This record gives sequence, structure tokens and C-alpha cells, in this order.
Amino acid sequence: MFVELDYTIRRFRGQIIGWGLGLSLFSLLLVSMYSDIKEIDLTAFTDSYPQEMMAFFGESMLEFSTPHGYLDLEFFNFMILIVGIFAVGNGANLIVKDEEEGLLDLVLAYPISRSMFFWGRVMGYVVVLMLILLVSWLSLVLPSGSASLDLSPGELLRPYWGLLGQLLLFGSFALFLSMMVPSSRVASMITSGLLVANYLVQGLSNINQDLEKVVKYTPLQAYQGGYAILGIDTDWLIIIFEGALLFFLLAWWRFLLRDLRVAGEGGWKLRELIPFRKKLSALS
Amino acid sequence: MKDYAITIEGLEKYYGSFKALHGVNLMVKRGEILGFLGPNGSGKTTTIRCILDHIRPQAGIIRVFGINPQSNPRMVHALTGYLPGELRLEDNFRVNQQLRYFSELRGNQLEWSYVEELAERLNLDISRTIKNLSSGNKQKVGIVQALMHKPDLLLLDEPTAGLDPLMQQEVYRLLREAQAGGSTVFFSSHILSEVEVLAERVAIIRNGLIVEESTPNQLTEMAIRRVKIRFMEPIDPILFTTLEGVKLISSRNGLEAIFEVEGDLDRLIKKLSGFPVKDLETASHSLEDIFLKYYQTEPG
Repeated sequence: MFVELDYTIRRFRGQIIGWGLGLSLFSLLLVSMYSDIKEIDLTAFTDSYPQEMMAFFGESMLEFSTPHGYLDLEFFNFMILIVGIFAVGNGANLIVKDEEEGLLDLVLAYPISRSMFFWGRVMGYVVVLMLILLVSWLSLVLPSGSASLDLSPGELLRPYWGLLGQLLLFGSFALFLSMMVPSSRVASMITSGLLVANYLVQGLSNINQDLEKVVKYTPLQAYQGGYAILGIDTDWLIIIFEGALLFFLLAWWRFLLRDLRVAGEGGWKLRELIPFRKKLSALS
Repeated sequence: MKDYAITIEGLEKYYGSFKALHGVNLMVKRGEILGFLGPNGSGKTTTIRCILDHIRPQAGIIRVFGINPQSNPRMVHALTGYLPGELRLEDNFRVNQQLRYFSELRGNQLEWSYVEELAERLNLDISRTIKNLSSGNKQKVGIVQALMHKPDLLLLDEPTAGLDPLMQQEVYRLLREAQAGGSTVFFSSHILSEVEVLAERVAIIRNGLIVEESTPNQLTEMAIRRVKIRFMEPIDPILFTTLEGVKLISSRNGLEAIFEVEGDLDRLIKKLSGFPVKDLETASHSLEDIFLKYYQTEPG
């Protein structure tokens, strides 16, 4: 399992560096700008915004000059989408992409069980996500004193737990879906679509009251963003992590049972789902 | 059963509604080199992948050194060196990184000096990045990783595909050495000269069924020969078709006739002794003719 964990991290090395560097530069920029932002009276500025836009971004627009409002609006609000797409894409690709490229056919002929292989990859994936978020957190923490964010490292860490939970939830769902649909590409597309749709519905629910009924059943309802700095909603956080674990377990179960392809993408096999298909074909 | 490296009985495999294997029965003795032949889509790769538990059959029994691959795939994989027909490697790795990774998957228990020796014999530079290798050099990486732990069983799908003739000879030598060291070699191939040179026994699969199991020599002896006879005076060639296994292909004025003869020529020659024969020609048949016979005609 640890061989596969190490291998997964090595494969992601470039992405860890790229994403880590990008996020840390962005974090440093945000922190350096905050000292100016908190001095400015933004009331006139926010008053000029359309009501709908103010509503879409919620309370953080009104609390823009506070550290949690600022980080929520400028960082965590977008990170769920930006890093989310990364998590979903790599979740969907984690195992099935190798199958499509024909690598799995050889690797699984080695004395490593499918379970060991699967959990090694999953652990590697979780470590990679944590490393990227860690680099981003360090970029916020290290210069925070000078930039007067007035937040302790522990307080700054809180929103990252929520972000990690959401990334794992959508990533694990993408992994599970990749075991069910014909290709990693389709799994990634569907999950990314769901993530973006959830994000939009979440924002629009502040404008349209009817959407509120829908949004309370979606994962992003539990995402606190920058507001987790004020205190983590642990009940929801645990549910999100449990959801991620459930999808990892389902993906594992599917991986143990499935036939491995030599290479390439699979088919939908919709005919298999038609009830009484055998009887119908026998009659015809 | 303990004398066999692989035992397959009544193996059936469906892909959806398509039946790929129709009850394959095959025994591979310990220490033998068996050539596994068949046209594209006949079930060669499916059989090999069932042996490795990459895919699960709907019916049948498989044992590798007495071990059921479905209940203990790790043990089977530990004893096996596998070269897939469509070899894919991690493009961004160097060859030695890729081989180190494979070695780690085997618990780092192999001798690295043997890996280097194999690479040297195959003229493979292990410091190069895989994406910069030609298909022949990638195939060499595949051969090295299959052989590097000196496995008890080698499952090789088209082992010399993409290799130049010199390298093919080196691979044959390596496989014979592996056999001499106690390994069993089970390989599929379309290169018939390779089968003749390497295989001690041949199994031919067609439409998911084993249609022939024999030695290359026996197969050649079983070949249908074409015999051309010229007579000194006109003879009715139908007289010879009463013989078992003799079929008239063409005749010209009774002075020349071409027959196809299955098995040995003894009966035909004895019958010919009563006639004025001017000349007799036989075309010697290669394995290729035999394989074409199986590849082209329906089994049974």
C-alpha cells in the first residue's frame, strides 16, 4: 500500500508544486492587500452594487473589511470551485485513467491486492490535497502578523477543514462515478457539473426563496467558507467527511468486483439495465 | 495436478451478451514452453487475463500451480511474470524508475544486478525516459520487468512484437534460459517461425475454444500435402480418390493430376506403383499452412 501511496505522490509532484505555488502567491497577494482594505470605508462601494449580486455572495459582501468576510469573499468562496475542479478531475482519474491508458493491466499483475492498490492510491490522493492546502495555509499564516489579519494560525486553519471535506466529498464521488460510467472523462464532467451547479444554486438561493428548499439538501450548504474562522460547525463537517468515506468505500467495492479493461474506455451497457432483457431476446 | 503449471477446465467468459470463451480446456506442464496461437479475437488475451484474475469467468476452473487465482491472486502474481500484448508504461518515468517501482511492488526482493544484466543483454539504456523510447525499446522494458524476478511462470502476450531479428534471438535465448532455470513459459504469438523455434507444444484457440494441442512437429506431420503427379499415359485420377484422405484438386487430360493428401503418403504411393508415373512433386507444408487451416475454417 505504501509503495502505491509513494508512487501517487510522486506522480502528483508537478501538480503539488504548480497548485501550491499558485495558491501561495494568491494567498500572499490577498494578505498583503488586506491592510489597505480594512482602512477603506466600503459602504459607498457596496451600495453601488446591484442587490442581486450582494445577495449572491451573502453576508461576506457586508463584512468585507473583517478578516473572515474578506477571506470568505476573496479566497474560500472561489477555492471550492477552483481547487474543487482539480479534486474532481484527479478523483475521477485516480484509478480509471490508468485503466484507460492500459497501465493497470500490467501493474495489477504484480503481487499487490486490489484493496492495497486502491487504498494506497486514495491515501496518496488525500495526502496530495492536504499538501496543496497546507502550502496555501502556510502562505496565509507566515505573513499574517505583518499584514494585520489578526488571526491565529489555528483560526486560519479552520476554513481549510471545511474546504478539505468538500474536496474529498466531490473527489470521492468522482472516483465512485468513474467505476460506474464508461470513462473517467464522463465521471469528471458529471461531478464538475454537479459542483458548479451546487455553487450557483447556493448563491442564487439567497435571491430566490424557492431554491432554499433545494439547497439545504446539497453538500455546499455545509460549506462555511471563511466564516469557519469564527467557529467550525463540527456536526456538518463530520457528515461531509462521512459522506466522502462512504463514496470511497462504494468505489472500493466496485473496484473489487469489476473486470479490468485492457485499455480504452468502456460502454454504457444500458441494455444490461433493461429488465427482462434476456426473456425479450429469447422471444425475438 | 501438481505436475501442471496451469490447469484450465471448462472456462467460459461473457462480455455482456458476447461469449468470448466457450469452455476452454488447457493444461500447461511445469517447465514446458507452450505457444498459444489463434486469430485476433479468438480468446487468447481473455484466457491470459482470466489466469491473472484481471477478469472473472462465468464458469470453469483455473489453477496456477494449484492455486485458484480468484481466491489468491497475489500468490499467483508473485509466481508470475507477465508481459501484456498492449504494453503501456509511465511515460514520464525513466526506465530505471519504472523498474524500481515494479521491484518495490514485488517487495524489493530481486537482485538489481540481474535487472542490469537483462537490460545489457537487450541493449536497453535504463537511464532514458520512457516517452523517448521507440516501441521496440519499450517492449524490452516489458521483457525485463517480466523476467527480472526469475518467475516460476512467464505469461507473455506477443513477446517479440516490435523487436528486430537480433533482439528476437536474444529473447528466445532468455526464455530458454528461464526454462532451464525451471520456469514455465506460456506465450502467444503470430510469428510462426518463433513458435517453431521456441515452443515445445502448441495450443490453437479459435472462437473461444481450443481446437488443437500438439507439438509443432506433430502438427507438421498432420499437414495436408499437395501432390502433383505426371503420368506417362492418360489415367483416370478418380481412381485415387477412393483412398482415405486423398482429394483431387485438378487434372489435365489424365496426364497430370494434383491431389491434396491428409497425413502420410504411404497409401497413395503404393497405389501409384501400379501405374506408369513420369514424375511426382510434393510441396512441403509449413506450420503456416496448418495455422491458416485453423484460422480460416470453422472448428469441428
